[in-house]
Amino acid sequence: MHLTESQLDDYLIGDLAPEAQSHLDACKHCQALLAEAAAPLANFREVTLAWAERRSATLPLVPAAKPSRATARLGWATAFAAALAIGVAVPVMHHAGVSSHPVAATETASTEQIARDNQMLSAIDNELNASTSSAATYGLQTTLTSEPSRTHVTKVQN
Amino acid sequence: MTDLQDSDRVTDAATELDDIEALVRTYRPRVLRFVTFSIGDPDLAESITQDCFLKAYNGRASFRGDCAISTWLTSIALNLVRDQQRLQKFRFWRQARATAIDVTDAASFLPSHESSPESRILAKEQAAHVQAALEQLSPNQRTIFLMRFSEEMDLSEIAAALKMPINTVKTHLHRALKSVRAQVGNAQ
Repeated sequence: MHLTESQLDDYLIGDLAPEAQSHLDACKHCQALLAEAAAPLANFREVTLAWAERRSATLPLVPAAKPSRATARLGWATAFAAALAIGVAVPVMHHAGVSSHPVAATETASTEQIARDNQMLSAIDNELNASTSSAATYGLQTTLTSEPSRTHVTKVQN
Repeated sequence: MTDLQDSDRVTDAATELDDIEALVRTYRPRVLRFVTFSIGDPDLAESITQDCFLKAYNGRASFRGDCAISTWLTSIALNLVRDQQRLQKFRFWRQARATAIDVTDAASFLPSHESSPESRILAKEQAAHVQAALEQLSPNQRTIFLMRFSEEMDLSEIAAALKMPINTVKTHLHRALKSVRAQVGNAQ
């Protein structure tokens, strides 16, 4: 019994049963049928590869660099970090009595604005220095550095 | 295969992947063929193929060496094709006939060592019939057909690349072959 069309397809697919394979190995008729069925596929493979080789030869050898996904992710991470920083800084400064405007306008701030900001920060430093005693009453101790704006507050060790 | 042989194979592949020019020279025609005949738009296929090599080069550290480089590249190309399908950025095969692929000229560029003028004509005709049959297949069938009969991937590789059971892959291939046989038979 010769192979059916479905069995010939099984062979082409790479799934022929061992018994059918044994028959095929011994049967010239089935081998001819198989060759007939396989020819269009082999011709398609060769002709399309020849086509693609010609087409590929017209393209630049090294693809134009585009930002990789990793770079894109880095960009998103930077944007996220910046958004997070603003999100944290604004409420903290607001809580401390500082307007958020100087922070947001850092890049475009005029000299006049910078001077006003510095004045305000000095006033805050002075206020903090003056409140050392009241801080101590809450179990906190201030450690002053040479720069008034870098005041560190540390917990008193009992 | 021993661990040492595995390690050598991964190292060889990694070296090959480091040289993008050699990588492109060796594999681009095959990737371009796969993408072109998957989507039916040669211009878009060029762009996707270039993306595929950039992606492969940028992600070469992730290549584990558990398949051939050509199979790995085909899998990357497949994902890019599917991304495009999802985003509907390209015209599907049936709508892309205006920019249809003309492979008939390519037959004259086939290696001449074995082909007479008659066999070239036959090759050209049969390739055109298969191409016509491909147009009638679903995107999945077309992809699977190309993986098997153009890229010569085996069933397990196709199943792994598509995350599809092997029996489903076989079913698609049987249907695709019936369609090809009908197209070639009608033409004769």
